[in-house]
Amino acid sequence: MKTVAFNWAPAFAVAAACALITAGQAQAAAAARPDFTGVWTNAGAPALGGTTNVAAPTPPIRPAVKVRVDAFNALINPTGETAGQYCLGYGMPQSTLGSGGYPLEIIQRPEQITTISEAHTEVRHIYFGARNAPEDERLPGRNGYSSGRWEGAVLVVETDNLVEQLDQRQWPHSDEATIVERYYLEPKPDAQGRRILVDELTMTDPKFYTAPVKATKRWAQIPNGRLLNYECPEETWHIRLEALAKAKGVSLP
Amino acid sequence: MKTAIIATIAAAAALGLATGASAHHSAVQFDFGKQAQYKGVVKTFEAINPHMRMTLMVTGAKGPHEVEFEGHSTNNMYRNGYRKGMVNVGDTVTVNVAPMKNGTDGGFVVSATTKDGKFFGAKSTRALDAAAAQKAAEGKQ
Repeated sequence: MKTVAFNWAPAFAVAAACALITAGQAQAAAAARPDFTGVWTNAGAPALGGTTNVAAPTPPIRPAVKVRVDAFNALINPTGETAGQYCLGYGMPQSTLGSGGYPLEIIQRPEQITTISEAHTEVRHIYFGARNAPEDERLPGRNGYSSGRWEGAVLVVETDNLVEQLDQRQWPHSDEATIVERYYLEPKPDAQGRRILVDELTMTDPKFYTAPVKATKRWAQIPNGRLLNYECPEETWHIRLEALAKAKGVSLP
Repeated sequence: MKTAIIATIAAAAALGLATGASAHHSAVQFDFGKQAQYKGVVKTFEAINPHMRMTLMVTGAKGPHEVEFEGHSTNNMYRNGYRKGMVNVGDTVTVNVAPMKNGTDGGFVVSATTKDGKFFGAKSTRALDAAAAQKAAEGKQ
């Protein structure tokens, strides 16, 4: 049998060139990704309190759902009860669009972005690529499960595995709601020189609404900002201690 | 002493007080369209979350009586000038509040002036202190 010697050198050269190009593209793509790490507050809002709701229209709600939402509001409106009053986190989308006017910290790593809202110390985890949890390990909750990807300089976050939340201030939603957010930096800082982060949010919930909910939130970065610890249940615990003391007929130690 | 102040709530609203307070927790019982001022001796004070709690012993037409207040979270108060030790039991303080809708005593504290004259809370409501001081000064003349 005649063997023919094959010259592998050109193939290796092509492979190496391809690898270099791919690596270069990856580096370029990574370089294009902005770093959102920092502490952010409502753009244009004051430090105390602050606007909490984003002005945006509510799409038509399905009649049967409206009956339930109205009944829920009739239950809580007379006393103004809210989930937050009992230290329950806002849940998506309010946890991001509203957050009670409190600041938001973003910690960005290549495989994961973590956001912490000062109010209730409410946390969202946004996973990338292989860092994502298997489908059957995604625990449904008020903030759902979030997966991220980059489209150039735009961070796209998809959230599902939400639970039904009639207590959302603006847009109650079902457990079938899904949310897509597109985060990007405005090209220029604001008048105070602060970076402005925009979150264009679309919530689709055919079970509750006949069209998607669309809202835009703008955040301004606080230079060298820090979150303060927020222990929400302090008041509840103090009231409980007072009740225990009263029942025993003693003063609080 | 309770001094009713005609609301200039545009300033407070601009600060987001109404939305800030009601957004976080229920504040349905407070009228953020008005403001009132109380001066009294601190009987209880807790800078806690989600709401500050305070009881003042006030005097007035009703005679000495206790009035209970709520206020912003510790975090919001801290960001607006409050520091540990500024308010203690036995101190005489002045508080600017969003009063109760039902007209009873009490309210949601939006700012306060301590016994040392230190101020914390929504700065726009500091004008209320000036107005009260002016009125008091005029009363002495």
